[in-house]
Amino acid sequence: MHAKGVIRTLMAGTAAVVAIGIATGTASAQAQAPGPAGTAAGTTVTNTAQASYSVNGVQQSATSNAVNFVVDRKVNLTVTANQPANTPVSIGQTAAVTTFKVTNNTNGTQDFLLSPTQLPIQNLFAGDNFDVENIKIFVDSNGNGTYDAGVDTATYINELGADQSAIVFIVADIPNNQANVLAGVTLIVQVAAGGDAAAQGLPLAVSVGANNDTVVDVVFADNDSDGLGLDVALNGQGRASLGYEITTRNVALTVAKSQLVLTDPINLAIAPKAIPGAVVQYCLIVNNGTVGTPASNVTLSDVIPANTTYVANSISIGALALGQTCLLTGIVGGVPLADDGTITVPVLNFTGSYNANTKTVNATIPTLLGGTSVAATFRVTIN
Amino acid sequence: MITRPMIAAVLVATAAVASAAAGPLQVTSSILVEARAAAADGTTRIALVKPSKVTPGDKVIFVVSYRNTGTQPLGNVVLDNPLPRQVAYRSANPGSPAPDVSVDGKTFGSLETLRVRSLDGSTRAASPNDVTSVRWRLASPLAAGSQGQFAFQAVLK
Repeated sequence: MHAKGVIRTLMAGTAAVVAIGIATGTASAQAQAPGPAGTAAGTTVTNTAQASYSVNGVQQSATSNAVNFVVDRKVNLTVTANQPANTPVSIGQTAAVTTFKVTNNTNGTQDFLLSPTQLPIQNLFAGDNFDVENIKIFVDSNGNGTYDAGVDTATYINELGADQSAIVFIVADIPNNQANVLAGVTLIVQVAAGGDAAAQGLPLAVSVGANNDTVVDVVFADNDSDGLGLDVALNGQGRASLGYEITTRNVALTVAKSQLVLTDPINLAIAPKAIPGAVVQYCLIVNNGTVGTPASNVTLSDVIPANTTYVANSISIGALALGQTCLLTGIVGGVPLADDGTITVPVLNFTGSYNANTKTVNATIPTLLGGTSVAATFRVTIN
Repeated sequence: MITRPMIAAVLVATAAVASAAAGPLQVTSSILVEARAAAADGTTRIALVKPSKVTPGDKVIFVVSYRNTGTQPLGNVVLDNPLPRQVAYRSANPGSPAPDVSVDGKTFGSLETLRVRSLDGSTRAASPNDVTSVRWRLASPLAAGSQGQFAFQAVLK
């Protein structure tokens, strides 16, 4: 016998269409569904069962005890590089930045402690041959993903909520050594206790021993983030690595210009003087003083001096050995070039031309090896 | 039409709720988790133990036990367990009869007969995650002194 007003009829065999959502008020409450990290640590989950029955035809109800348990802390994090490639730097550069992203996958708010290491990572940065110096770590404070010196000053991640992310910068100096090629750096992130916005939390440790279930235990669920032997699973740590790569190298390029009077109309080639009609040879020597670093696409240009006339097709170019200078006869091994730029020196690919409109001699040296010199000469007559 | 026995039933039901502990049907709720241990014969034994370290994603088992502590048989026994909102229903516990489930707290049936309406008006088949309540009915009266239990498995969200 059913008490009136209480609907307990099973609609057996009939599909029942029901609406869920906030409107019914009794439906599954998804309004506060947890994120991927899950139900917050410290939440008490309580269960009570109900019963109805009849005795001697009289309807009765019963309620069970309320049983509960406390959700424990499942610690996990993700650390990734936050830039698509290594950071390009030059020798001696200061405050060079690599950017990382830390995501809190724990079901609770945590602090994260940050530290660097430059231990070489097997096979990850082949060619890693130097260490950066003066390493500092800062947390992005204004969410712009860019290191702002003096603004981003926090050195650990404070009170990061479940499923939230923070951006972290490693800032370091590149030593002044021409042999530097690549330096790998690793960011180590350690999960620490949250709950105090004013203080840095202690690193979390796994709860051991028999459990008093009113206490929130700590369980580590993180994986081995580098698979290369430096991080291990279930240690509350995550790591990611990036490199500083030398891409621009400054070289010490110098140009020295000299001149020789070759002939004059009166004395011809014997002790010629710089008088009208004399032929003068100008010599430009470009030197790359940075041993070990080639300079690319070196260009020379020189405007013909006033009161002179360029001698057509008089440009010559050639490599100089150490200590050599331009001779009366030009450059030893020098190659004459055409004014219209149509001649290219084989192998070394030197080119040159004369622009009659701007009265400019141009020469191009595609690669000037460190410690070597190239000379270009041209001739003019004094008006 | 309201009859006198009906009124008495409602009054008695109210009184029964107020003094639930005193009624002849004793209902006990417990929550357990699985503990696996290797047995001597090489198989894995699964024991049900009190929860200690329960974290999101873990399987949790809810047990509803009942006992007739009175002298009369109890009829129409229905046991109803609304799910705590932090857990998602999965299935009956092995060895327990399957419950009827509800996705709205009102209509109970087997999961494959239930459908869920979305806010845009379309309906879809109900899934275990939609279950809000489970319920068992005893097919015959519960004799004095008899007892039993039902259990279901859920996952902590």
